[in-house]
Amino acid sequence: MSFFGFDSNLPRDRQPGPSATRGFFENPDPFAEVARARALEDDDAIDFEDTYDGLGDQLDDDQDAFNDDTFGGGGGAGPSTGAVGKDFDFFGKTATVADAIGEEQIRYTLQNPQAVLVAGQHVQPDAQPEPAFTKRSGYEKYSDPGFIPDLQAKSSVWGVSQKKPEPIPLPGMSAARKMMSLDEVEAQMQMRNLGYQPSPVPQAMHPHLADPSAYMRHPQNIPLPDGFPTIPPEVLRAQLERGGLPPGMPHPPPGMPDMHGPPPGIPGMPPHHMQGNPPQNIPPQGIPPPGMRQPGPPPNQRAPQQQQQQQVPPPTSRGPNGGLPVITDPQQLVHLTEEQRNAYLVEDAKRAKRNHKIFLLSRGNGLMTPQDKNFITRIQLQQLVAAAGNVADADPEAVLAEDFYYQVYSQIRGAPRQHPHQPLGHFAQTYLLQTGNRIGGHGNRRAFHSADNHMQRMQQQVQRAVEAAKAKPKNKQLIIEGSLGKISFSNAKAPKPMLNIKRPDSSEGPRPKKLHSDLSLSDRKSILTNIEGVYSGLMSMEDMERTMPPPPEEGDAEAIQEHMEWRQKARSLNQKLWQSLKVMEPIVPNSTTPHPFIAFLSYPKGKKAIPRIFRHIDQEQRVTILTMIVVHLDSLDVVHLAQPVPGEAQLSLAMREAIDLFSLAVMPSLLGYVNEAPFNIIIGLLGLVIAQTHVQTVARTRVGLGILTMLLSRAEIVKEAGQASEVDWQQWVAKFNVLFDTLEPALADIFTSPINSGDDMYVWQFLAAVGIGASPEQQQRLVIAVKDRVMETVAYSKTLPADMASSRLGNVNLFMRAIGLDVELLG
Amino acid sequence: MADNEDAGAPSEPLDLVRLSLDEIVFVKLRGDRELKGRLHAYDSHCNLVLGDVEETIYVVEEDDNEEETTRTIKKQEEMLFVRGDSVVLISPQA
Repeated sequence: MSFFGFDSNLPRDRQPGPSATRGFFENPDPFAEVARARALEDDDAIDFEDTYDGLGDQLDDDQDAFNDDTFGGGGGAGPSTGAVGKDFDFFGKTATVADAIGEEQIRYTLQNPQAVLVAGQHVQPDAQPEPAFTKRSGYEKYSDPGFIPDLQAKSSVWGVSQKKPEPIPLPGMSAARKMMSLDEVEAQMQMRNLGYQPSPVPQAMHPHLADPSAYMRHPQNIPLPDGFPTIPPEVLRAQLERGGLPPGMPHPPPGMPDMHGPPPGIPGMPPHHMQGNPPQNIPPQGIPPPGMRQPGPPPNQRAPQQQQQQQVPPPTSRGPNGGLPVITDPQQLVHLTEEQRNAYLVEDAKRAKRNHKIFLLSRGNGLMTPQDKNFITRIQLQQLVAAAGNVADADPEAVLAEDFYYQVYSQIRGAPRQHPHQPLGHFAQTYLLQTGNRIGGHGNRRAFHSADNHMQRMQQQVQRAVEAAKAKPKNKQLIIEGSLGKISFSNAKAPKPMLNIKRPDSSEGPRPKKLHSDLSLSDRKSILTNIEGVYSGLMSMEDMERTMPPPPEEGDAEAIQEHMEWRQKARSLNQKLWQSLKVMEPIVPNSTTPHPFIAFLSYPKGKKAIPRIFRHIDQEQRVTILTMIVVHLDSLDVVHLAQPVPGEAQLSLAMREAIDLFSLAVMPSLLGYVNEAPFNIIIGLLGLVIAQTHVQTVARTRVGLGILTMLLSRAEIVKEAGQASEVDWQQWVAKFNVLFDTLEPALADIFTSPINSGDDMYVWQFLAAVGIGASPEQQQRLVIAVKDRVMETVAYSKTLPADMASSRLGNVNLFMRAIGLDVELLG
Repeated sequence: MADNEDAGAPSEPLDLVRLSLDEIVFVKLRGDRELKGRLHAYDSHCNLVLGDVEETIYVVEEDDNEEETTRTIKKQEEMLFVRGDSVVLISPQA
């Protein structure tokens, strides 16, 4: 053996010179055997005597003779600590042996042919495990529940300490001694102990076979022959745990090219078979490299066990094999019938396929140690606690503030949860319980007791953390006596405020502004401010809705109390919203500035707010709003500014958008109320339209006609349903007659759009509503007024494609049928 | 009445921006850009979301006589997120 020469000739990085060697870190771990022996002792399968390979005996006297030369120690082999002081001259001492190292290197290269030959067969396995196990995660040992961390990892750090056991190379030593191949070393060792040597191959194999758990525990220590695929320890373990070793799997026969490939028996000869006539030149690929030492007992002690092992077929579970004979030896295969052999081969191919699948599935196995998993669990729990703790001490407002839009969205989408924090806390609990149970289930195993305790500790910790979060002081800062400042608590949710500005009390600050805004209630800025006030009110009311307590049960005083309080709060918010709407502002007749509420409606966002507002106000407030709109019908922007301009075919784009928005947002809310409104209110509203507005202006607009249609049709429905008292009806008819008379001169103008625009359906609807309620004499006047438009439309529809024409005629028919006619009659 | 005055009264500059929500605003940006569009949303960093935006970019070019001419590029965007650090001013487009 040489100092650096044990294998510097990896095929992949063959370089001359000492620099090519990869240092002591490449050395197989000298303590590995100790660790393994210790691990094996646990299983009582092999005791220390068995595992001790006797290399230590071999080392003494003759090989440390040159230690002093190398390390510059004092005289004798004794501890030279006295001589090596803090000022030890590393360079100088190294220089004295530099020549020797150089010579050693040259000698090694000269010996190369042999070395290469040897390396190809024997030394190679030593070096091979390194590349072969590149996937080694370093965690394999952790998979052993009884794993006790040993010195291995650390020992590698101290390269120097590993140097000692290594034979010291010196030029004076004989080449034969230095360049002994592994074979020779092996042979020498065994000759010394035995005098007789059986085939080395089974020795290498059987210790693992005899103790599969040892095999799986230290799979990385098992040398694999060239070309033998890397079997992840997980696969082996999976196999072992399934009750046995499938044939071929744990017997890596020398030279077996691919264990997932063809079935065993074909590619190579299993060790059993070879044992009978051990060919001396068989490459002992199974032999562990010298650095690893031999895991098994000395061969002489091992031999009887081997024989036994041989007789007993491997404890395989051959469920799928069915009636097929148990094949332990490929030679058996030869004696089988063709059919059986085929069945066997098929079976085996299946197994190989399954093994491969397991291998694929188990790639990620064992990447995380239990410690890693605990660590992750702890992080997850911390996050849960952080979330739960936050919920515990913060009000739902905070949660909403966090992701308001998500909450709203999930509400709109009908998400099942009312209180966004509930499921989280619930989840946290579930998670905790589940984890506890799962670990607790393994309580019978000693190894998991500590983990169980750990989980319990974590649960307690979680509980404490939640308690602490609950108990956290509400005030955000702390003034310690004698300190010069305040200590602010901060967290991720509420960062520490850097500025502490005292907000002016509401009694002081806004007063001047209030005066100002009172003066000009209807300028643009104050209108916008009003709108924002309305939206603020809306949002707080929608918030209230979210926190509505469940309906109280009978006799549950606390719940009733809670409900009453909520009601009270909701009422006050409703009042606030109502006031910010400014519906009740006094109506100033002949004012140049529109009423604040009408101004409010003139903004798109004001229109959009109406449906939301209607959800939160009572019927009385709704009728007030409706009344307000009806009274100011001709000053609504969508009426006032939507008068058709002579010569212009269409209104401006902005106005058309405003009208559309009003029709989509405001009208349905109003209609919703009107459809349930009592008859007297309808009468009152119609009276207001006649008395307060310029009916002919109103009638020239879509919105105005829409509201009139709404009122007229409701009256008709009430009458049809027989709900109208005679007095009411008389009152209604009187109002209707006034309206009709007012409207009649303008009937020709209510069609604001040209006939080809196709946008006159609302007009026909209005005419139909008028026609139904009209007396026969009124109907006649009506027909005369709109006769031209009817005829034009009928004529025009003949020039249109069938579907468009029918929709146009359908519109006209709305009106015609209302007065008992049909377009068909017009031919 | 006083209550809702509090709710709507501007107490910080961005409260004025709030008034322009859902209104057409004019936004001047660094890099000689201007936007005009409907303000859908804003935050404390003046990040804005605008709808139906017309973006105007002013490019100053020197011609052969070293006379500077200003060219404008106009772009129309349906929806735009404006990062607040580029906002110079926001003005309601009354």
